[in-house]
Amino acid sequence: MYNGSILRNLDAIQIQEYQQNRYPWFFVDFIEEVLPGKYARGYKNFTYNEWFFPPHFEHKPIVPGCILIESLVQVLLMTFLTLYETKGKVATDAKCQAVFKREIKPGDRMDIVANLDSYKRGIAKGNSSGYVGGELACKAEYIITVPEIMLRFRPRI
Amino acid sequence: MTNLEIYTDVFVRTFGVTKEQAKTLKYQEIEAWDSVGHMGLITALEETFGITMESDDIIDLSSFEKGRDIFKKYNIEI
Repeated sequence: MYNGSILRNLDAIQIQEYQQNRYPWFFVDFIEEVLPGKYARGYKNFTYNEWFFPPHFEHKPIVPGCILIESLVQVLLMTFLTLYETKGKVATDAKCQAVFKREIKPGDRMDIVANLDSYKRGIAKGNSSGYVGGELACKAEYIITVPEIMLRFRPRI
Repeated sequence: MTNLEIYTDVFVRTFGVTKEQAKTLKYQEIEAWDSVGHMGLITALEETFGITMESDDIIDLSSFEKGRDIFKKYNIEI
């Protein structure tokens, strides 16, 4: 799986070595490629078996926006939780600005492309976009923290 | 611009305060200067002055005034 600095073809079990999200809050099926510190590409298949479809909504199931935001960020996490100092650590969102372009229904596969703009001292900035059938479905910009690292630099007061 | 003006401008841009507010600002005194905001401030200061700050200095920089003292270590008089 490891080829130089690029990671390829990570399945759900391997992805969980790098991030702490777990079922039912785990929304990446496969990571096709990661260049740590730079970018990640992966996808999520949304089947009708997902726990959120029956209540959202009974007669018109669509993926909730918060799940889309989480799917996008979980691919973005791979861009920096694959770095040596952060591997497997808990990461939390500090800021998110999202845009939704189309509804995502049971049977859709969302391809996700994430780019890391910067990572320093436990603060990551980046963006992530989701595509269905090659069409942009949603995108978001994030600031994410790795509290265990960031809080080492908190001022003394 | 003087170093003091440049230094002040970083606080103004990072936290959205006025120049006068910036000069007495302390960590956690405003909502924007929390632990995440602090990392944004440090990155902006490093990029603006072309330095890399040591961990102890990042932790010690708990106010506008304190930062002026710390910058002397980096041969920058503010």
